[in-house]
Parts: sequence; C-alpha cells; structure tokens
Amino acid sequence: MMRLSDIISLSMLNLRLHKTRSLLTSLGVIFGVGSVISMMAISEGAKRSALSQIESMGIDKIIVYSKKPVFEASGGSSSGRSMQNSAVERYGITTHDEEYLAKLENVERVTTVRNTRQSIIKGQDRLDLKLVGVSPCFLEDSSSKLASGRWFSPADYQDAQNICVIGANVKRKMFQLGSTDVIGGTIKTPLASFKIVGILKNDNGTNLPELGSPNDLIMIPANTDKNSFNGYVSESSGRRSSKVVLVDYDILMIKVRNLEYIDNTSKRLANFMEKSHPKTKDWDIIVPLELLKQREATQNIFTIVMSSIAGISLLVGGIGIMNIMLASVSERKKEIGTRRALGAQKLDILNQFLIETVILTTLGGLLGIALGVGLSEIVTRFANMPTIYSMVNILASIFISSFVGVVFGTYPAWRAAQQNPIDVLRSE
Amino acid sequence: MNNDVVVRLTDIHKTYNPGGLKVHVLKGVSFSITRGQFVGILGTSGSGKSTMLNILGMLDVPTSGSYFLDGIDVSSLSDSEQATFRNSKIGFIFQSFNLFPYLTIEQNIEVPMIYKREAPRKRRARALELAKIVGLGHRLGHRPTQLSGGECQRVAVARSLCNQPAFLLADEPTGNLDEKTGNEIMALFHKINREQNVTIIMVTHNPLFEHHYDKVIRLRDGRIVDSFSDPLPQEPAQS
Repeated sequence: MMRLSDIISLSMLNLRLHKTRSLLTSLGVIFGVGSVISMMAISEGAKRSALSQIESMGIDKIIVYSKKPVFEASGGSSSGRSMQNSAVERYGITTHDEEYLAKLENVERVTTVRNTRQSIIKGQDRLDLKLVGVSPCFLEDSSSKLASGRWFSPADYQDAQNICVIGANVKRKMFQLGSTDVIGGTIKTPLASFKIVGILKNDNGTNLPELGSPNDLIMIPANTDKNSFNGYVSESSGRRSSKVVLVDYDILMIKVRNLEYIDNTSKRLANFMEKSHPKTKDWDIIVPLELLKQREATQNIFTIVMSSIAGISLLVGGIGIMNIMLASVSERKKEIGTRRALGAQKLDILNQFLIETVILTTLGGLLGIALGVGLSEIVTRFANMPTIYSMVNILASIFISSFVGVVFGTYPAWRAAQQNPIDVLRSE
Repeated sequence: MNNDVVVRLTDIHKTYNPGGLKVHVLKGVSFSITRGQFVGILGTSGSGKSTMLNILGMLDVPTSGSYFLDGIDVSSLSDSEQATFRNSKIGFIFQSFNLFPYLTIEQNIEVPMIYKREAPRKRRARALELAKIVGLGHRLGHRPTQLSGGECQRVAVARSLCNQPAFLLADEPTGNLDEKTGNEIMALFHKINREQNVTIIMVTHNPLFEHHYDKVIRLRDGRIVDSFSDPLPQEPAQS
C-alpha cells in the first residue's frame, strides 16, 4: 500500500501535467460553486437589509395608518357633486378609533402621528417638508435618538408650546452647513411658527408608511398641532385649491405587551377598524413581526430553489468530471498495467484515481469560492447591493465539492483498478 | 540445495477460451531456476512464451500445474498478497521500458519502493545507488523523454532492482534497441548477474544472445523442446 502523501503528490503531478484539461474538467464545479456562493451572498445581503428595515419598525408594534381612498383621485367626476363634499375631505383613522384601540387587551400604548400638511416657509420659498404632530412616546417608539437639544416635556404638551424637534435631513435642508444657531431657530408655516428645541441623530429610525423616516420630519407636540391647526388642513396650500382635508391621525404605532399574542391583537384590531370604516378602506395595517415571518418563509423557498440549482449544477459538473476521468482511465491503461506489474495493489490504483478526482473537485471548489466572492464584490460595488458571505457557506462549499469528487470519482477509479495488467505487457 | 531454487514450475498447462474455441497454449511445462542463474526463455511468436512470462510474473494464473516462488505456492496467495509478492520478489523489465514520462529518473526508479511504503529518504538513497550501478548517476533529475532508448532501459533495470527481488523478469529487453545498444544492455544484465548474483529470466525470440545464458529453455508450440544448463559460465564477465 502506498503512503497517503505519495498518492497525493502523485495525483498533483498528474493534474499539473494536464493543466488545461484539469481546469476545463473542473469548470462545472467552479461555476457551480461560484454561482452558489455569489447568489447566497447576494440573497443574504438582501435579506439582512430587508430584515433591518422591518426590525427598525419594531417587532413589538402594530402600525395602523391612514390611506387616502382610491376613488378620490378621479377629480373630474366629483365636480358635479355638492360643494361641501369636494371642499372637505375626511378620511382615515379617527380619534374615536384611537381611543378604542388604546383600550384593547394586550395594547401597552399608542403613539399617534398626524401630518399637518402645512407647508414650511424658508425666506420666499415654501419647502415640501412634513410637519407632524406627535404624542410624547414618539421619540422612543420610532427608535429615534436626539443628536442635540431635548425632546418635548409633559409641560410642553400641557401648555401646547409652539416648539419643534427636527430630523437630521430637515436641518440639512433648512440651515447652512455648520450653522450653530439651529437650536433656538424657528420653523415657519403660514399659520404659525415653532421654536426648535431638538435635532434628531441621523439614524435609520422607523420607516413610517406614507411619511418616511423621522429624519425627514418636523415634529411638534400633538396638542400644539391641535391648537394651531385645529385638525383641519388644506391640501396643497401652495396652489389655489380650497380643498380641505380632515385626518385625525395618520399613523398609530401600537405597542403590544406580549409579543406572543401579537397575531391575535392585530386581528382584533383589524376587525374593529373594518367595522368602524365600513364603506371605504381608508386605512391599512402593518405587523412588522408578520412581515418578518413572511420574509423568512420567502427566504426559505428561495434557499430551496437555490440549493436545487446548486445541486443540479454540481451534478452536471460531477458527471463531466466522471466522463473525463473514464477517458483518462482508458488513456492511461499502460500506466495502470505497469504500476500493477511493479506491485501496486488494486486499492493503490483505486486510491490514485479517486484522490486525483477529489483534488480536482476540491481545487475546483476553491476556485469557485474565489469566483463567487469576486462576483459578489462586483455586485456590491457596481449594483450597490449589500452582499454577505458566511464562513459556513464557504466551508460547506469546500466539503461539498470534495464530496462530489468522491461520488463521481469512485466509478472511474474502480474501473481503473479492474484493468487487466496482462494487456499492457503483451508486446505490441 | 532446495533453498537455492527460486522458481519451480511443475506441469503448467494454460488454455484460453476465446469465443468458445479452446486454445491450448502451454501443454505441461516444468522447469526450475536456481539462484544466480541467467535464464533465457526462447521461442518464436505463438510458442507460448508470452503466456509463460505472464504466469512467471504472476499476472496470469495457469489452468493447472503449480508455481512455487521462493518456496511459496503462488496460487495460494490472495490478489493483494500477489501484488505484494510482485512488488518484492519480481523485477519487471519491459520491451518498451514503460517508464512514467512525467516522473524524473529518480522518481521512476523509486516507484516500486513507493508501493513498499519505504520512507522518502531511504528511497532517494537507494535510487541514487542504483542509478550509479546502471551508469546514470548524473541524470537523476532528467525525464525519460530526454534520454536515449538505451538509457531508458538502464533506468528500467535500476527500477527493477530497487526492492532486491528474487529474480528479474525481462520481456524482450533489447527488442526496441539497435544492435549496439542492445549489446550494451545485455552486458549490463550480465554484469548485474555476475557481480550481484541476481537471478535473471529473459523471455525473447532473439537467439543472438544465447551465449549469455546459463540456462536456455526453448519453447515451441507450448512445450519445452530443448533445455540445457551451463552450470559453469564459459566466458567470464566482461565489463
């Protein structure tokens, strides 16, 4: 019996002897492993960024938000209706809804957000920034943090102070870079102005439906909103439109006590909202935890599809390798016969060919990993998609490609070992 | 005396059955070879000498009859034991050298030692020693393609000797060489036989080198037609 080190160096020698052939032979494995690694990295990256988006909404929350009913968009047909109907448009979550939902079992608290739909004045311009009235827990429930200044105090709410906290992007749009007097500055609307008391940190807080990140918002206490705008806002006040929109709340962020019953709570919540808004669906609901679960389910299907594709490509690659190795066996009959005459056991011959195949596929796997990592780097750089490759995937690829070598190398190696040495020694 | 018998064949028969047609290739061959003999097995093609070679080399089994190598009945050995026996007892030399083109001369000589699991250091030392004996000590790093036919056959001889076999089994070793080189190779065999007391069995159709042999076994139509021994070599080794 040969030493393992001798078999390995012999196999390496043979592979190096036929560099081009070895490379072409393992191409199937190279591309198979390469595509698996890169696809895994891309899907893992996409999954992580989707998950972090979902998680930023807070998995212990249910988000209910107002949605403008669809039929309102067709303005032409509504012209024949009475003036009152077209002048005042009322939709969305009502104060009554909020009061009821806050009392639901398993609901810890409800944070409200109302878009005042006021335009913001900067010099002569009106900026399209969103001024929202929020309840006290907004800062915490939207996973935001203050960069400087302070949040609203209970007294601010009681007195309905004309103060505001602005998002990082708002600061960027309203003030020059490096301005030191942002806190204490004012935000003006046609009806009122607000003193800035705090600025948010430029973090990815909760992405609010219809409103976006808190970074883009100007927040005022809910009571101030009520006092200043009285719940009525005129839509697109910049133009000469007299349409008045009445929305009590745009968003309710409902924090639950017990995560286990979030399903049940969200169902009861949706049931109530359906009864409360029987005519039009002017609201919608997001359960981040459910999204998370759905996302995971999709991910699992994706993983199954990916693994089947990987399996098929490795199968094809493996068959290709088996084919070449069978050809190699008949090409090297003379070598096999000579080795047998010189004292090689059948097992020596078997090992030689098997290890040659395994080295071939393992090296193919390593090249495939390099290819996959390279591809995902390219995707990250040029398609601007995050990619994540895990050590587990890489190790598994090495293991699987070696395994492919064993599976598809055994038959050719067995054939090699069965060669009759007499054929060689018979003089030509 | 019995210890000195390396090979003893008794009433060897071999029949082949290609396509139902029975071919009787060897029809009762018996002979023995003692240690240190230089034996020539001669015969024209079809005489059964190739079959004889395969049986002696343990690559084929006789239909009937017994083959003792170093006192052991070869037919009692398993496939794996036979491989081990081939490795340690028989030194093969082929007409077309059968060197591995991708190995260096040194690596080629080492092959039988690799199958014997010798340590690399020991293999290298032995390869160098043998290369010197066959006169190729300076070409260890070369590859067979860089060598002439005669040099290749010298490498093959060195390879056959590396495990100190019971006998060398040479199959038409000069068949692919010109006359002059052939003579040189025969002289090398002669030298090894005389100086190292290595038993050599040479299977050939070529009657030219009869004067080298201590014993000649002439095969015709599967039978020994003529066998003579020459216990005392008439001409001394010339080298």
